[in-house]
Amino acid sequence: MIYREAGQFKTSYAADQAIFPILQDRIAVAIMMVVALVVIPMFGSDYFLEIIMINVLFFSLAAIGLNLLTGYTGQISLGTGGFMAVGAVSSYKMAILFPDLNIILIFLLSGLFAAAVGILFGLPSLRIKGFYLAVATLAAQFFLDWLFLRVDWFTNASTAIEGVPRSLFGVTITGPAATPVAKYYVALGFVLVFALIAKNLVRSQVGRAWMAIRDMDIAAEIIGIRPLRTKLLAFAISSFYCGIAGSLMLFLFYDSAEPDLFDINLSFKVLFMIIIGGLGSILGSFLGAAFIVTIPVILTNAPDLLGLPISSELAKHLEFMIFGALIIFFLIVEPHGLARLWQIAKEKLRQWPFPY
Amino acid sequence: MTTSTRRIGDTLLKLEDISLSFGGVKALTNISFEIKEHEILAIIGPNGAGKSSMLNVINGFYHPQEGRITFRGQVRRQMRPYDAARQGIARTFQNIALFKGMSTLDNIMTGRLLKMKRNFLWQALYWGPALKEELEHRKVVERVIDFLEIQAIRKTPVGRLPYGLQKRVELGRALAAEPDLLLLDEPMAGMNVEEKEDMCRFILDVNDEFGTTIALIEHDMSVVMDISDRVVVLDYGRKIADGPPEEVRRNKDVIDAYLGVSHEEMAAE
Ligand SMILES: Nc1ncnc2c1ncn2[C@@H]1O[C@H](COP(=O)(O)OP(=O)(O)OP(=O)(O)O)[C@@H](O)[C@H]1O
Ligand SMILES: [Mg+2]
Repeated sequence: MIYREAGQFKTSYAADQAIFPILQDRIAVAIMMVVALVVIPMFGSDYFLEIIMINVLFFSLAAIGLNLLTGYTGQISLGTGGFMAVGAVSSYKMAILFPDLNIILIFLLSGLFAAAVGILFGLPSLRIKGFYLAVATLAAQFFLDWLFLRVDWFTNASTAIEGVPRSLFGVTITGPAATPVAKYYVALGFVLVFALIAKNLVRSQVGRAWMAIRDMDIAAEIIGIRPLRTKLLAFAISSFYCGIAGSLMLFLFYDSAEPDLFDINLSFKVLFMIIIGGLGSILGSFLGAAFIVTIPVILTNAPDLLGLPISSELAKHLEFMIFGALIIFFLIVEPHGLARLWQIAKEKLRQWPFPY
Repeated sequence: MTTSTRRIGDTLLKLEDISLSFGGVKALTNISFEIKEHEILAIIGPNGAGKSSMLNVINGFYHPQEGRITFRGQVRRQMRPYDAARQGIARTFQNIALFKGMSTLDNIMTGRLLKMKRNFLWQALYWGPALKEELEHRKVVERVIDFLEIQAIRKTPVGRLPYGLQKRVELGRALAAEPDLLLLDEPMAGMNVEEKEDMCRFILDVNDEFGTTIALIEHDMSVVMDISDRVVVLDYGRKIADGPPEEVRRNKDVIDAYLGVSHEEMAAE
């Protein structure tokens, strides 16, 4: 009886439309906020903040982006890495070209660049679907890889792009000199704002139009949805998220990276996150990102702690095997991923201890 | 049977010499008829007669090779389904076309899509005018839900609902659009007597309360006789009768078509 909605009668549609209609959920979210905003930055080690939290955060943003496109709109994309590259490269270029431009603005603009590229590569989605669309987005990925590797201008003729040091309110927040705590707060700020925006979109008419296209595009057209426009908006917003995620990845984590960091493997990694976390779920995007970021860390550290000698090579193999098995499991058994398992657990809790 | 308060008005939709074929298959041949404002028109005919194709032509889903369609006095050509929706034509399908992953409420909310004006930037905020709009339309949708008596399944994903209820939700989505012309493709197929009675009541009420013009396809003759003002009969893609129900029922060609006599004769030719 810990988790119940009984007795919480909704007296208006406004209350029913609230983002977390159940009181216990609101309390849980408030606690998580305190943990994320205060506890983690105060007590988390630098290692924990950098290797786990910042990683989880920018990957969550990318996963939300891909989930809007694939989970909500039903358009499969393997171009995530490419769109993240557009974000990273464009914010690097802007930071170099305009030394006085605010870094937050640079990140937002990099999202717009990625959105424009996303729209361009989303155009084929009017004619092609499913597997063929996946192949078309794969072509986008390879083209962008090639472009950033071969055209010197993007990398200023060096082999790597850099997270240029910048500060905000007098605090250095990007580049090697920035503290993990500062970087963590920047990542957290972006993720909180854009997760909320994503949640708002999917519970509005835009989101319903996306899901209508996903569930039955013919019927969607009959109620007045313009398929191309709706899909392109999904491509644009999705790529916007991925672009910012790419910028954060470069500026808050790697500091310096070769463009091929944003290759097809990255696309697959984000795709696995939303499959394991849950297609068509914002919460699932977080769960998937957290899962895929932490498993390798656990696999490399746990054996040592337990006194089991495992070579790093074996840990890597184990990682692949676990991911492979999980992806097959979720694709076949539970396409709604961890998010759905969490929901089922909540439903069980709602009835406990008196199932009926 | 006609309803007391309702008055049948001018021509809303006019079809002239519509012909539609798929490769060699002629689905519709030289069909002409009118749909008048506020009437309930039934389209009947044996399987494969071209009834569904007729509705598909009306809402721009199929494009006839020949003929002319005039809607509200305007001739239209090669219209896309979303344009038809914009002009006030809503429909349901023979094989339910709901959004399976979405709840009843969300499905019906999609029917309000064309009425909602705030763009995605407002919706991203879910605040102020966007929230106000969302709540206003939610209210309209709740009225549709009350009207169709489906309050209990408001939050259920429609994929999990039984067939009869899915048909009802699909009608709800079409009604939410407040259409001028409502096309229903076999709204009562696969329903038991009780469900059929409910559905008939909904159709008559919609027509009566909102003056919505309705064109429906139905196989159950007793239903057709009960609720329609006029009946158009198709057979092998041709129109063989058009008139009030009692007249059509006595029509020799119609009786033949349903008994299959004319088919054998045609085959013999
Ligand atoms: N998309 C299509 N492609 C090819 N042929 C089609 C298509 N749609 C309809 N037809 C053909 O057109 C003819 C009329 O079909 P239609 O579905 O309109 O009949 P109907 O009167 O609705 O039949 P039913 O009572 O079985 O629903 C049939 O011969 C059918 O095979
Ligand atoms: Mg049919």
